[in-house]
Amino acid sequence: MEKRLITLIVNEQAYEIYVNPKTLLVEAIRDHVGLTGTKRGCETVSCGACTVLVNDMAVKSCSVLAVQCDGMKITTSEGLEVNGKLAPIQKAFLDNGSYQCGFCTSGMLMATSGLLKENKKPTKDQIKESIEGNICRCTGYNSIVRAVEAVARGEYKEGSV
Amino acid sequence: MAFKCPVCKKQWNFSLQVARHIFGTGDKPHRAWVESEGESYADLLVQQATSPGNASYETVAKLVEKAQSKL
Amino acid sequence: MTTTKKAQEATAKKGQEMTTFGLAKEKLTVLNTHVHNIDGVAKVTGRATYSFDTKLPGMLYGKILRSPHAHARIKNIDASKALALHGVKAVVTGKDTLGIKQGIWRRYQELCDEQILPVEKVRYIGEPVAAVAAATEEIAEAALDLIEVDYEVLPGVFEPMEAMKKDAPTIHEGVERNINVTRHIEWGDVESGFEEADYIREDNFFCGGQAHMCMETRAAVSSYTPEGKLTIYHSNQSAYYMQALMAGVLGIREGDIRVIAKYVGGGFGGKFELDGAIFCTAILTMKLFRPVKIVYTREEDFIATKRRTPMHYWVRTGIKKDGTFCAREARVVSNGGAYTGMGATALYLTGFFHSFPYVWPAYRYDGYRVYTNTLPSTSMRGFGAPQAMWCSEQQLEWMATDLGLDPIEMRRKNGHYAGYEVPGQAYIASCGLDEALTKTKEWIKAKGKLPANRAIGYSAAGFMSGGIFNWFDTPYSFSSAVVTINQDGTVILHIGATEIGQGSNTTMAIIAAETLGVKVEDITVHSGDTDHCPADLGAWGSRQTLMTGNATKRACEDAKRQILEFAYAKMGLNIVYDLDIKDRWVHIVARPERGMPWEELCKIATRGKDGQRIIGRGFYTPHRKGMISPAYSYMMQAVEVEIDKETGHIDLIDSLTAHDCGTPINHLGLIGQLEGAFSMAAGYGYLEYMPYEDGKLMNPNLVDYKMIRATEMPETPIAEIDTYEPEGPYGAKEAGEGLTNPTAAAIGNAIFHALGIQMKECPVRPHMIVQALKEKEEKDKAAKGAKKGK
Repeated sequence: MEKRLITLIVNEQAYEIYVNPKTLLVEAIRDHVGLTGTKRGCETVSCGACTVLVNDMAVKSCSVLAVQCDGMKITTSEGLEVNGKLAPIQKAFLDNGSYQCGFCTSGMLMATSGLLKENKKPTKDQIKESIEGNICRCTGYNSIVRAVEAVARGEYKEGSV
Repeated sequence: MAFKCPVCKKQWNFSLQVARHIFGTGDKPHRAWVESEGESYADLLVQQATSPGNASYETVAKLVEKAQSKL
Repeated sequence: MTTTKKAQEATAKKGQEMTTFGLAKEKLTVLNTHVHNIDGVAKVTGRATYSFDTKLPGMLYGKILRSPHAHARIKNIDASKALALHGVKAVVTGKDTLGIKQGIWRRYQELCDEQILPVEKVRYIGEPVAAVAAATEEIAEAALDLIEVDYEVLPGVFEPMEAMKKDAPTIHEGVERNINVTRHIEWGDVESGFEEADYIREDNFFCGGQAHMCMETRAAVSSYTPEGKLTIYHSNQSAYYMQALMAGVLGIREGDIRVIAKYVGGGFGGKFELDGAIFCTAILTMKLFRPVKIVYTREEDFIATKRRTPMHYWVRTGIKKDGTFCAREARVVSNGGAYTGMGATALYLTGFFHSFPYVWPAYRYDGYRVYTNTLPSTSMRGFGAPQAMWCSEQQLEWMATDLGLDPIEMRRKNGHYAGYEVPGQAYIASCGLDEALTKTKEWIKAKGKLPANRAIGYSAAGFMSGGIFNWFDTPYSFSSAVVTINQDGTVILHIGATEIGQGSNTTMAIIAAETLGVKVEDITVHSGDTDHCPADLGAWGSRQTLMTGNATKRACEDAKRQILEFAYAKMGLNIVYDLDIKDRWVHIVARPERGMPWEELCKIATRGKDGQRIIGRGFYTPHRKGMISPAYSYMMQAVEVEIDKETGHIDLIDSLTAHDCGTPINHLGLIGQLEGAFSMAAGYGYLEYMPYEDGKLMNPNLVDYKMIRATEMPETPIAEIDTYEPEGPYGAKEAGEGLTNPTAAAIGNAIFHALGIQMKECPVRPHMIVQALKEKEEKDKAAKGAKKGK
């Protein structure tokens, strides 16, 4: 299959990469762009560890092809901080211990970032639904929900979200 | 009265305790002794695993008691 | 509680903490405060790099060819076509290895039964048969299809009861009736005990397996270089175990192997044995002198990484009508799968914890682990205790109900207490069970009357804080720590403990900061690297807080002792005054306003030592602490469930966890562990089913294997019970595994109270509830009919 040249704008930086059309977005981010914060935990679009924002929408990056995202704005967990200043959601995760092994964390951050972009004051149920597609084996999810609730309450001022 | 294990000579108060020790150790010399007394170690073990009560231990306990005179 | 019990509890009360140097600590300033996980920023910014992410220059990609047969002899492997594929660098099989049978129970040779790449035969579907290294993952995958394996298929046996029969196929040569290992625990006179009982009940249970389902699948990058050094990046729970085990199977020195496990995406008991990733990458790199990486797919992780041990339980219990326990007899036949793994320990611990947390005048346990041609079973968080509680706590609840007793008071009446000795097995120095029972009772009372179709169930449990056993046969201390104090007051801590998400790095930093009198941000922790860190048995059996914590505390006490010498000299105090350090302030305890800053003391001490940094060493190995553990945590789990009678669907509505871990050290970490344990244990109770058919796992993916989701988790309030454990650092005990033990049983008891049905098998699936309800209805009808007929 002939490779194609595409551009992904990842964390406000344009990357020109040369990919096989069947390359998944998650593979392009991890292997071609070289950002490994986004993880992969399954082959069946079930676990959410690969969640990123594509044009500000939370997407499982294993469920889209890189070529489908040509020219699009992609945000990964590496793109949340600004000049070393953590985003509110990241600070909330730290304060609430919303991660343990950290492998699902990038996906959780992006899924909840996507939610907060759409809805600045989500209810608890809405928060839970936003991460229903993300599996965490370590935390039991409740600390993640508490972090998002804290951000929604306005406990964190500056940041990109 | 003390009962000695016919293999390693360790002592207990009751023959049933020696029998449990023999099963608990499960090493070659202990298994070989049970076999030499005409019982199948594996059969006894399976019986103990799959039926209530202590029949297998009691069988080995009796063998231990008989063996005391030879020790 | 009897007077004796009360007195014993009083002697084990929480007291003033005395360090070995004799300094009385008035106040703990760092422990149990709100401290961020010190790895947190790396994890929330995507900087943390796991073995899964690791890339080395010139790296090749590996893939493993797996057996499609449950039991077969390997007659021949022809890799010529695969080797001819452009980009394929090597194909290895068992014949390319030393063929050493390894196992983690190194003291018992007969239990070292596993060649990761078998030479003669395969014993389970998914077992590695060959491994390929190629330029890309795609090429490696394509090469697998080109390897021709000639198998002589043998009959397989999949259930332990079948495997013990005389005519069953032999899975390991020389192992009669496929009985892998047996374990026996006994105290008291069981027969007399039953004679004294007013009520005896006998039940059979089945506890299913469970997948660890770590978010990071098995992953390794191994690199062998011409000077004969092997470097391995590996997702594991014990870098030292991997180093030692790999040295054994490769025939090279431990010191020539470096294992690095800096960030690990979960372990839960599945990652402290050798796996196909570490083994095959090492064999390949030693052949090719290029780094090789293998990452398991999720499917491979499901079918080829060892699982929780499925157990058939038979329990006979006798109690008096006033609820006093008289005797218990239990028998377990566990499905060991194809190899021993950690299954021998699980067999022992299940029998031991099946007696927890109660005083049994007479107890007997016989456990039998049987080989079958299925995925080997091993340790998984709880280590046999979740299975034990599923059976014990449900049966006791049914017995209390049958006798019309208050189940909480019955538990209290027979509960462990500080000062109790489990005959010949364990000494309980601290125990918060009584208060946990009270907290549970209060929570239930506050709930009041529940709506229809809802009910509460609860279960007690207790767990070990690290094991005393050395079946691994290590010559090293179980835990060690080295602390170095820099001239500017910053501190470096080297520990062998492995951070797998449970927060051990942070816990040790907290202990170090508390002991030295500095802040957590002054401490840099290095762990999970055998080149730089001391040996440590690793993260399993809930051992690190107590054991590595003790080692860390001792190392810091050593360093503190050394550095304070310079403060004493500089300050020229009257001999009756002593010094301490708190919040970076070195001061006279009696006159805290007089002192000097920590940073100043560090400079003085460095100069005083001829420019050398102060280095403190500490280590810990339990001696004469019984047969299991130096200390035990206690907990109560209560769950409120709602069940749909028509579909059998279970909804978790609310919960309460009452937990005694002695002195909590890492507050955020503790909450995380308890909430996480709940989610895993709940999954064991009603979701995570692993169906096998003729040795084949039928749901090796996350669509069909049910994991609990955020929307299904209830609230998880925690009641912390305060006790003080003399053996633990600052009185601390474990909090990593204990709570995985009671939750499934609590759900079972909730089902019982909601619907009057007794579920003997876990995980409980909806159709099982529907079926049980149907059977109950028919039984009730028949009973009614018989009554009418009279």
